[in-house]
Amino acid sequence: AANMKLILIFSALIGASLCLETFVGHQVLRIRTKNEEEVKQLQLLESLEHLELDFWINPSAPALPVDVRIPAVSVQSVKAFLESQGIEYSILIEDLQDVLDKEKQDMAESAQRQRSSSSFDFGAYHTLDDINAELDQLASEYSFVEKIQIGESYEKRPLYVLKFSTGGSNRPAIWLDAGIHSREWVTQASALWIANKIASDYGTDESITSLLDKMDLFLLPVANPDGFVYTHTSNRMWRKTRSKIPGSICVGVDPNRNWDAGFGGPGASNNPCSESYHGPSANSEVEVKSVADFIKNHGNFKAFLTLHSYSQLLMYPYGYKCTRPDDYAELESLGRAAASSIRSLYGTTFQVGTICNTIYQASGGSIDWSYDNGIKYSFAFELRDTGRYGFLLPASQIIPAAKETWLGLKRIMEHVRDKSS
Amino acid sequence: RAMELPPGHFPAARAAAAALGYLRYLRGGPGRGLHLRELRRARRQDIDDVGHKYYLELELEDVLDKDSTVSCTAEVLYHLGSKSSAPDVQVTVQGELRSTEQADKEFYNRIRSLEKELVAENIPDSHGNVPPELEPIHLLAWVASGYVIWQNSTENTKLHLAQVKHVKQVKRSDEDLQFDFVVLLHEMVSQEVLPWQVTLLWHPQHGARVSQSRAAGAGS
Repeated sequence: AANMKLILIFSALIGASLCLETFVGHQVLRIRTKNEEEVKQLQLLESLEHLELDFWINPSAPALPVDVRIPAVSVQSVKAFLESQGIEYSILIEDLQDVLDKEKQDMAESAQRQRSSSSFDFGAYHTLDDINAELDQLASEYSFVEKIQIGESYEKRPLYVLKFSTGGSNRPAIWLDAGIHSREWVTQASALWIANKIASDYGTDESITSLLDKMDLFLLPVANPDGFVYTHTSNRMWRKTRSKIPGSICVGVDPNRNWDAGFGGPGASNNPCSESYHGPSANSEVEVKSVADFIKNHGNFKAFLTLHSYSQLLMYPYGYKCTRPDDYAELESLGRAAASSIRSLYGTTFQVGTICNTIYQASGGSIDWSYDNGIKYSFAFELRDTGRYGFLLPASQIIPAAKETWLGLKRIMEHVRDKSS
Repeated sequence: RAMELPPGHFPAARAAAAALGYLRYLRGGPGRGLHLRELRRARRQDIDDVGHKYYLELELEDVLDKDSTVSCTAEVLYHLGSKSSAPDVQVTVQGELRSTEQADKEFYNRIRSLEKELVAENIPDSHGNVPPELEPIHLLAWVASGYVIWQNSTENTKLHLAQVKHVKQVKRSDEDLQFDFVVLLHEMVSQEVLPWQVTLLWHPQHGARVSQSRAAGAGS
């Protein structure tokens, strides 16, 4: 009898069903069934397609709630039916269009807020698009900050560098990059924070001001954009570039084994499927060649600094050989001073030493190349942590990591500034 | 005859990682996760016809009780020539570790009373988040991966748990809890991320035991 009633009530609505573009007057009900019989009633309701009921939670078992969106024209009838059957319900959403309108407004306002760099959340992980938007924001906000493109990745993404320059012509310069290994997310995130810190503190912080008054800074926050996008879309643990390797099903080259410094030596693999594959030849990766060419063409870099994670290490050359660089004493001393600055903030300890002693022998690395090309102050940082979270460092640690790392970088930059004048 | 090693250099750090894996397997649980705060001292002894033995002084912290630290000494013996046998590890913890009896009991009862077997993935997630109710599972993954790390460590490897890719509880007719894990281990020297399947049995009084483990199929 109840089923008959159901069919009678709703068959009358068949003709009245309209296909609406909006959700004005649509209601979302939460229905609480008490027994199997009531569940069956709702399943029958569900089968009446012309009603265009949209079940957000389908009727399945008495213990579980049933959520359903009802087009405006059917709302009163459905409620009447439920009430006549003694089926309990409550109204989750009175008017769905109101909710959607409010949500749209909220999103527009949020996008509006995001456009001002003072509200970019440096304590969160961002997509490549959001990072690039923030680079634009910084460049537009500060007259001495310029976004330049030094090349393109394998998949044709631009390699964007922020140039900090208060004047002069080809001043002695400092290079800083992050994210050459794409899974090391704290590095790209820290680079953004550091960029904002330097830009906003110029003119008020004595150290940054004197630094930028004498030298230029070039900052590449995402040195491996293809890999970075891949960590967002497909594999959070991706390290290498995304270049296709002739004759192999495996993809990608370790960009920090691809530099022309002891290339192909110990500590790099010739297996394309390996995470430390050095590539078919030095500078085969466009991401690496673009940086190397830029630095060579500029001709006046005094420091080359690169950010990695994790392990909390502060290293200088060499990696490709286990002998000390000529400037060992100065680099060791400066490294210790920088580690001391890092430690002063939160007590985070960084081990200092050559790459070969500290972590492993590794050939084709960027700071070995820069050092052998006359850039004395070449350092590689491995940021937090020491393995508890590893690559998956909680976002809450981004800003502390960036702050302490910045102190170490600053210490090195101050030394470079003093030696370059 | 034992040579002093700089604690900041990699040979000592690798031995410490192996010791930590062993210790987590032995003493870890849903209410206790031990992490290395500092490697204070390391020495190495080359024993003819046997292998290389490392003597370590470690300072550990319990991640659920970060203000307290615990000292321990460890000996790690890597056998000569054998790449396929696990290092012998001995660990002595100085003093008492904080009791986890209450937390263990609560966790045990909570899991036993679940209607549907627990399933979870990506712990931590891409952003490093671990939902609080999954933290005990996360720490049991440390126990499980601690075993694998210990068993598979050599002087040329340094293994860490990178992520719990998947965990599935399997109900048992006996009193143990069983968790089938797929964990990703990060090997620092080769930089490879290696998936491993590990089955862990745990009971508040009996402790933890890995019943089986194997390297999983082709990696991500």
